[in-house]
Order: sequence, then C-alpha cells, then structure tokens
Amino acid sequence: MTATETSRETGAGAAVHGGTPIGPRVIAFARDYAALILLVAVFVTLSIISSSFLSFTNIMNILNQNAPLAIIAVAGTFVIVSGAFDLSTAAMYSVVSVVAASIATSTGSVWLALLAAPVLGLVMGALNGLAVTRLNVHSFLATLASSLVYKAVAVLVTGGSLITVTTSGFSELGRGKVAGIFFSVLILIAVFAVASLLLNGTVFGRHVFAVGGNPEAAHLSGVRVDRVKVIVFALSGLAVGIAGAIGVSRLASGQPQAGTGLELQAIAAVILGGSSIYGGIGAVWRSLVGVFLIALIGNGFDILNVNPQMKDLVTGVIILAAVALAAADRRRR
Amino acid sequence: MNSLRISGTVALTATALLLTACGAADSAGSDGDTLKVAVLAASSQNGYNQAVYKGVKEAAAASGKKIDLKLLDGQFDSNTQLSQLQNVTSTGNYDGVVVVPNDGVGLAAAFPLSKKIPVATVLNPVGPDINKMEPQVDGVVTTVGVPPAMAAEKQADGVVTYCAEINPCNAVLLVGNLSTPLDVARRDAYNKVLGAHPNIKVVSTVEGQYDRDTSLKAISNVLQAHKDINVILSNADQEAAGAQIALQNAGIKPSSIYLTGAGGTKDAVAAVRAGTWKGAYINFPASMGKAAMEELVKAMDGGTAKAVVNADDIGGTEPYATKETLTKTPDFTGEWNG
Repeated sequence: MTATETSRETGAGAAVHGGTPIGPRVIAFARDYAALILLVAVFVTLSIISSSFLSFTNIMNILNQNAPLAIIAVAGTFVIVSGAFDLSTAAMYSVVSVVAASIATSTGSVWLALLAAPVLGLVMGALNGLAVTRLNVHSFLATLASSLVYKAVAVLVTGGSLITVTTSGFSELGRGKVAGIFFSVLILIAVFAVASLLLNGTVFGRHVFAVGGNPEAAHLSGVRVDRVKVIVFALSGLAVGIAGAIGVSRLASGQPQAGTGLELQAIAAVILGGSSIYGGIGAVWRSLVGVFLIALIGNGFDILNVNPQMKDLVTGVIILAAVALAAADRRRR
Repeated sequence: MNSLRISGTVALTATALLLTACGAADSAGSDGDTLKVAVLAASSQNGYNQAVYKGVKEAAAASGKKIDLKLLDGQFDSNTQLSQLQNVTSTGNYDGVVVVPNDGVGLAAAFPLSKKIPVATVLNPVGPDINKMEPQVDGVVTTVGVPPAMAAEKQADGVVTYCAEINPCNAVLLVGNLSTPLDVARRDAYNKVLGAHPNIKVVSTVEGQYDRDTSLKAISNVLQAHKDINVILSNADQEAAGAQIALQNAGIKPSSIYLTGAGGTKDAVAAVRAGTWKGAYINFPASMGKAAMEELVKAMDGGTAKAVVNADDIGGTEPYATKETLTKTPDFTGEWNG
C-alpha cells in the first residue's frame, strides 16, 4: 500500500467508515481491491475446474513465464505514479536482446553479455528521462519517438534477423533453478522487494508520489521534479534491461521483434492493478496483481484447451470490469 | 524569437533537409532507362522479408538492366500495406511492384490499380481465395508460393505416418495467429488430415504468434495438463524453437516426440539434421524473391510472366525436410534466420 493510499484509507476514510454500515464498506473494499479479488477468484476457479492448475510446477511455470513482464511493470509503476508513461519499453527490450546476443556470440563472455543488458537499459531509460525534462516533451510523445529510434537500432544491428547464441552457460540465467525455483523468479522477488521499499519507505518514493500528484506543488515544496522524472525513467530502463537479460538468456537468441507489445502489457497491468493512470496513486504490489491476473487467464485457457480467441475476449472483459470498478470507486470518493 | 519558435525553425529546417536528402537518393539514376520497382515488405524488420528482398536485389542485379529498388515497410499492418500499394500505383513513379502480402485478401482492395503496372506477389496470393495461386485480380502477373492448405496437409501427413503405430497419439497444434485467413486455413488443413485418423487426438490448439517466447509460454502451459504428448505440429520454425525450449524445461527430450515447424530457418534445418526435430517445411524466401523479380522483369519488358511459380520447386531441396531428405543436399543450410 502506498503512502498516499495509507493516508486516504486509514485517515479521513477511517472516520467516514466508522459511521458507515457494513454493507457499503464491503462494497467499497471490493471496488478498491477489485483486481486482487478477481485474481483470487480466477485462482480458485481454475483450481476447481482444472486438476492440472494447482501444482507447484504450474505455479512456478506461471511465475517464471511472466517474471520479465512483472519486472518491467514493477518499474513502470514508478513512471505511472509520477504521472508519466513509458512507451519505449518494448523497443528497449529488443535493443538489449540483440546487443546481449551479439556480445555473447562475438566475445563468448556470458557475464559481459548479460550485464550489458541492464547497463544499456539504464542508459536508454535515462535518455528518455532527459528527453522528457530537457526538451519539455510529454512523456507519451517522447517515449513514442524514442521507441522508433530504439527499434530502428535493433533492426540495424541485426538486419531484421535472429541472432542465435550457442555460448555455453548463456541459458543458465533464464532457465536455471535453485531448489526448484527459477532464477528469474528470485530476481523478480528481489526487484519487488527493493522497489516496494524504494516507493514506500524512502524520501525519493514520496517525491515520486508528489510529482505525480501535483508537479507544481511538488516543485514549490522543494522537490527537484526533473531529477525525479529522469530517475524514474532510468529505473524503467534498468528494469527492461534486467528483463531483457532474462528473456534473451531463456530463448538463447536475440531478435529485433523481441518484446513486441510489452509496453502496452506493462501499462495495462499497472492500471489493471489499480494504480491511477493520472499519477499520484499506486503501489508496486498492485502491478504484480495486474500482471498475474492476466497471466492466470492465459495459463488457464491453455490448460483447458479453450479456443484462443475466447482468451482475448475474457481477458478484455476482465480488464474492463476491473478498471471500471476502480473508476467507480474514485467517483464515489 | 522565443525558444519555441527557434525549436520550430530548427525542426522545420531539419525536416526539409532530410526530405531533400531522401528525395535526392530516390531520384538518383531515375532516367528513362531505369526501371523503378517498389518492394512492399509485410515488414521490412522481419528476417523472412529481408531474405525475399535479398533475392529481389540479386535478380535485379543479374537482369542486366538498371533497376532502382525501393523497399517499403508494411509494419505487419494490412491497412498500411494497402495504402502503400495504392500510393505507389497511383503516383506513376513506378514500373512494377513486388509484394509480400501481410493480408492478400485485404490487399485485393487496391485492384484494379490506378496505373496498370505489373505486380508480383510472394508467399501469398492477392485475392479472396488464399489457396488459389493463379492471379485472382487484374494486375497481378505472377504468384510465387504454394497453397497454404497444401503445405499444411503435407506437414500433417508426416504426423500421420509417425503416429501409425501409436494409439492414442496425442498432438498439439501450435498455430501462428488464428485471426488471420492464412493460419485459419493451415489449422483447418491440419484438423482435416489428422481428423481422418481415429488414433490421433488433438489435445490442444494454441497460438504461437510466430514468436519463440509466446510459443514457449503456450507449450509450457499445455504441458502442465498433458504430459504425454507425442506430437507438436507448428506452422513456424520460431514457434517450434520455443516449443523445444518448453519441452527441455519440462525434462522432455525434444527428439523423443514428433516436433515439426515450417519456414526453413537455418536453425530449423540444423535441428532437423541433428534429429532434434523430426521435420520442417522449408521455405526458400531468397529464391522466391529472385523468382518474383525475374518474372516481373519479363512483364515490365512487355513479355508474359509465368502466372504461378511453385515455391516448393525452386530451392534445390525437398521442401518437407526430414533428416533423410536433407542428407541428399548436405550443403543446404537454409535461406534465412528466423
């Protein structure tokens, strides 16, 4: 729960709740935690109707598959809470994917290749932040433009073709396990812990909320708004780099098409989880709820062998329902 | 002048310079002896389309004529490509078109063309029937491809042979994108052939979206419910490569099942040679691009182009590749990277 939410729900909200009958309070709770409730509902439903769903291997499978997207969404929470968008995550993902694969094939060094990904992501993210702040361009347009630049770089590096990596040990990061748990899942847990602490337990986190809530007021309060914006975009790039390292390692190949659609998936997950698209309100755990709600639907449909088009239909309806419930909650308040 | 005006002036000047530079590049060599050909890629960022373009360039260079090629990026978007075809045929600046249709059915809306110039199509026909290679609209002079249903049936025949002694033989269909006519035709062809054999049970049909990661996820999910799979039948090598990783992650040796893709990437040819995959339907995109350009040159010269070029016959190896068939062409490595 965010600092903003804490004050909203346990401060003034508690006084109001104190005199409110239990029924409306339950409804208000359901609206505020719509995505989480839907996640639990889908989880329970799949556990009942599919004998294959509720197993350690399947749960680990879901976590592992979606770890890269979840890592990007976790960092994307900072961007959206700060009142901005990052539409370049997919393009950055493709760049780090092909660069890491190129380095691995040309040098034979696994660590150099995989470390290059987050470093490159951090640089590209910082450039996004500088484009937004120094050129005073809205983040939507700035990252849309940078996504074209980054995507073009990925294609130019490869000529549109896939780079297959056969370097020994390269796949270990994406496919390796310790005690039955994929490395990617452990990385996700670490990223989640650090990001939660950063957003909820530091001065920087409060500044992110302040910038997203009211940048003018934040500026007048002494917050260095531009610096906060550059940092959140840099964090987004860093997360894309980490996710890209996992992805390229898992597939043992880099390609310019890698990550297609990731930017919208990440934004959808953050918003679906309940963070505000207008900035100032959000939480890292909410983004994970959004990611795994969509992931469970995909997993369930594949297991149940339902027509793939029905998966899109149901996913769309659930996203609409969750976001509409959250919007109704905001109007009520 | 404020900073906004300065920025605007700089942007306008830069744009003008860029456009001038591009225009200069485009017009280079465009005299009366030069033929101008637009190559409409479904996506110029895609390895398959790049290989087609490579073949087109080779044929243009070998033709002995001055041919100015311009590659346009369809961005895997049917409307974008339709607009591009309408633009290049209405400006009067081009003498011919080679197109890799993103959606041949939708692209038919551009016909009849504003200016009658010959169009050569690669991989997919242009017109309402995706399995009819003969020109369906006035303006298409040659189609280099094979009916997708026919190719899919050949793949499925390989499954039938493999499953002959297995009952039940559990098969997973890993199909590209079931919202496109091409992949629906392939899925239907798979089901038609496999459905005639009671021992073969299609336990799941999932989309791979021509992407390793998507296919890895889909097959990983399917393996949670079906651990006794005998066959994974895919229409794309990228998807079969993702399925291979999913099998390995699940502790299943890919060579222990009938895993097959399509497309003929270098990785796929190597996997079939190694026995990791049982087969792959080979495409020859560079040879297809070359053949399309050769026929287009004939048409631009006022001659008659061959209406249909069977893409299976031009690559120098048996299109449905198995370890056995590939031993006959030891030098063949594939014409593109996935």
